[in-house]
Formats: sequence, structure tokens, C-alpha cells
Amino acid sequence: MARLAMLIDTSQCVACRGCQVACKQWNDLEGWLYSRTRNRGSYENPPDLSPHTWTRIRFIEYEGPEGFRWLFLKEGCMHCGNPACVAVCPTGALKQHPKGFVTFERELCNGCGYCTQFCPFHIPRLEVVNPLTGAAKASKCTFCQDRVTNGLLPACVKTCPAKALAFGDRDEMIAKGQARVEALKARGYTQANLYGVDQVGGLGRLYVLIAPPEAYGLPAKPEYPVLASLWQKVVQPLGGVAFGATILGILGAFFLARRNIRMEEVK
Amino acid sequence: MIVQVKGKPEFIQIQWIPRYTTMERVVHWFHTATFSLLAITGMFLFFPFFQPLIQGQAGITFRLIHRVAAVIYGLVPIIYLILQPRRFLMHIKEFLPQKEDIGWLKAVPAYYLLGKHEAMPPQGRFNAGEKLNGLITIIAWLVFGFTGLLMWFGKGVIPPGLFRWLVIFHDLAMIVSVCMFLVHLYLAVAHPLMWNALVNMRFGVTAVDYAAEHHTKWFYGPKRAMELWEAKKREGAH
Repeated sequence: MARLAMLIDTSQCVACRGCQVACKQWNDLEGWLYSRTRNRGSYENPPDLSPHTWTRIRFIEYEGPEGFRWLFLKEGCMHCGNPACVAVCPTGALKQHPKGFVTFERELCNGCGYCTQFCPFHIPRLEVVNPLTGAAKASKCTFCQDRVTNGLLPACVKTCPAKALAFGDRDEMIAKGQARVEALKARGYTQANLYGVDQVGGLGRLYVLIAPPEAYGLPAKPEYPVLASLWQKVVQPLGGVAFGATILGILGAFFLARRNIRMEEVK
Repeated sequence: MIVQVKGKPEFIQIQWIPRYTTMERVVHWFHTATFSLLAITGMFLFFPFFQPLIQGQAGITFRLIHRVAAVIYGLVPIIYLILQPRRFLMHIKEFLPQKEDIGWLKAVPAYYLLGKHEAMPPQGRFNAGEKLNGLITIIAWLVFGFTGLLMWFGKGVIPPGLFRWLVIFHDLAMIVSVCMFLVHLYLAVAHPLMWNALVNMRFGVTAVDYAAEHHTKWFYGPKRAMELWEAKKREGAH
């Protein structure tokens, strides 16, 4: 099945943060539990993603070849083609939908937090109820799984007044993004580029950027964490093999001992 | 104590002498109980096979049980150290390897599989196998404690790159110590020659004849034990 993707054109974003509000409204999120709105010396608000802020506009003051300007980045789950969070999730609460995005079932989550530690983009956040008992729930953008699977657009895309957000077939989104990058370059934005085509199995969140990814705080070469593979592909099977071999060895040793040892001769 | 040999008319007399202190036995059984609970609840999270058991509220409960057991597991040796510090250090010293241990480990397959005891060098209160078990248990306790506490209280504080390594080392310590636990369990409850192992750990006493034969250095003292061992080797050479 063809993958779905979101195309975020940062050159068209006016940082109105309507997407933040629409996201919270549709998903019943209560961002004020994590940060009260107050003056931090920037229009950026809230200061970071949280279990109740799944998407957020990051404000970057950028000194580029065209002079000083603001860069706006809509943060949120990248919906990797090869998602490490899904691989390390022991409960199956995180799954990859056949259409490529990473879904989340809150009822299945037991709060172990592995997804928060293995995500190459540091996206999922843990809603900790009690740090001592470990009671918690993970939380992240699901592309509005309940809307998208019913033929609607994600809430943020639906609401974006600047038409900076688009959602649909991933190949179409890539084509659209590339066309936009070319148009930007023709207009003098020499550093324009499309981010997310190949990284970590191809991202479900594509960015048209007008500066290098690093300027936005995006990793230039994000990678599937090696230790997630070591853990899942080596250590876990090793555990099974080691236990199996030990139990078989013990059974073999037991039968040999039973056959060879005469208790009558033992002190 | 007088016992009848199974299916035979004759009786044998077993004399018992103390081997483990009450503290050692209490520590052993508390460790056994908490380790088992930790291994089981930990494996639920480790093997994908157990996925249905750890979803949602059930998973939160098992993770809580893991933490409660971990606190007791972590405190038991520390309480031992506080209450009997000299005894504790002596105990650790007894676990350190000695020269004869290599010979013992070489001779042990013939003993456990075929019942041949002749080639085994004299041993102290703990034989080389028991020492290995003890040392790995101590190392695993340190690794579990360090990685576990950091994962418990450091999640979100320490860098994710470190957290990922902690998961791997916690799991590796689990694999090694559970394998060793299985062998230990087998020797304690099922091996025909270890008939008095459980009596040792339950009541703190061991059979005199068994101690004289298998823990010579502890029973006779190191000097006499080595003399007996040399004499036995000369006898065997003839």
C-alpha cells in the first residue's frame, strides 16, 4: 500500500501556531499541565514538546546568506519508514500502519519509556504519573490516526491557513516538495532542500527547508540506533539460545549422571 | 541421625556439622526469592513471547513488582554488611579463586557426570564451582544495581546514548545470571550426588563424611588437607 506523508513547507509557514491549537483540540491534549504560557523572551511557545504537546513551531533566529531572518520548524513525530520505537516497544502499543505512519494505542502502553530513549529524533515523551512506581504513558503525534484512517486530513494540515502543510500519497508529496525546492532556488534561496526522503527508511514527515537541516536543529544524517539492532537482533535471540542450551545441557547431564552414578558406592 | 538406605535392609548413620550461619541462609533465601521474581518479571519485558502479559495496566503492575523486588534484592547484601561486616568480608574472601580451583574445574565433569571424585584437589568451605557462582552473583548484583538504578531514576536525565547501553548490559547480566541460576538449581535439587545440598542451605548443617571428602581444606585445615592430597596422589601413581 502506498505510504502517506506530510509535506511541511517551512518557506510558507508564518508561525501562527494554528497547528498547535488544532492538534490539542482534536487530540484532547492539555498542554498547560506541562508549561504555562509566559514571556520567555521569544514568540516560541511552549518551550518544548511534551506529552501534551505533540507538535510545536520552533523559532530559530538565523543569520544566512540573505541576511538575518527567522526560521520556523513544525516539530513532531517523523513517522520513520524504519521506526526504532516500534522495534523496541515491548507491548505493541506502537505499530507501523500499512500506510507507513506510526500509530499509538494508549491502552496497551505500560510506560516503560524505551521509545523515548531509542527515537533518533527524541520525539516520544513520557507522561509520568509516579516516578517511583514507574506508572507512565508514552505520547506522540499519530498523524491523527483516527482522522487519517477515516479519510480526513490530520487536524494540523486541515487548519493551516498559510497552506504550508500538505498531506497525501508520499510519492506525490516528494514530487511536490522537489518542485517547491526548485522554485525556491530559482527565486534565490540557494540553500533550499527537501529533508526526509531517504533518512531512517524514508520519513513520513517531509520538510522543504530554506537553510541546511543543522540550522533548524535537525540531524543531517539521522540513523536507526545501532544499539536498538544489537538489543533486538543479537541480545534477545542470544538470551533464548542461552536458556535453551543451558536447559538441554542440564537434561543431558542429568540423564548421564543417573545412568553412571551408583548411589550405593557413594559416601 | 540414622537413615535406612532405600530398598535395602541396612541402616547408615549421618553425623551433621554446621556449615552455614543463620545470616548466610537468610541472605541466601531472600536473594533466591527476589532474584526469581526479578528474573520472571524482567523476562516478561525481554521476550516478545510474553507481550500479552505486559500490556497496559498488567505491564505497569509487573514493572512495579520488579521495582519492589529490586529494592529488597539490593538491600539484602547491604544489611548483611551492616550487621556482620567482618563475617561479610571473610565471606567474600572465601569466594576468591585459589591455585587448586583450576584442577577442580578440570576434574568436575567426570565427577558430576560419572561420579568420579578421585582427581579433585582439596577445597575449602566453598568449592571452585560454588565460588564461581558466588562471584558471578556479586558481579551481577553490582551490574543490575548500577544499570537498574540509573534506568529507574535517570530516564530523561541521562543521555539516551547511555540509557541504550544500560538496557544492553542489564540484559546481558540477566542472561548470564539466569543460566547460572538454572545450573545452580539443578545441582541443588536434582543431582544425585548433591543429596545434602538442600539440607545444608535449609538447616545450615552438612554431613561429616561429605565435608571430609569434598571440603577437605575446610574440614581438616589447609596443611593436613594438602598432606592427604599428596598421599592420595602418590597412592594413585603406584
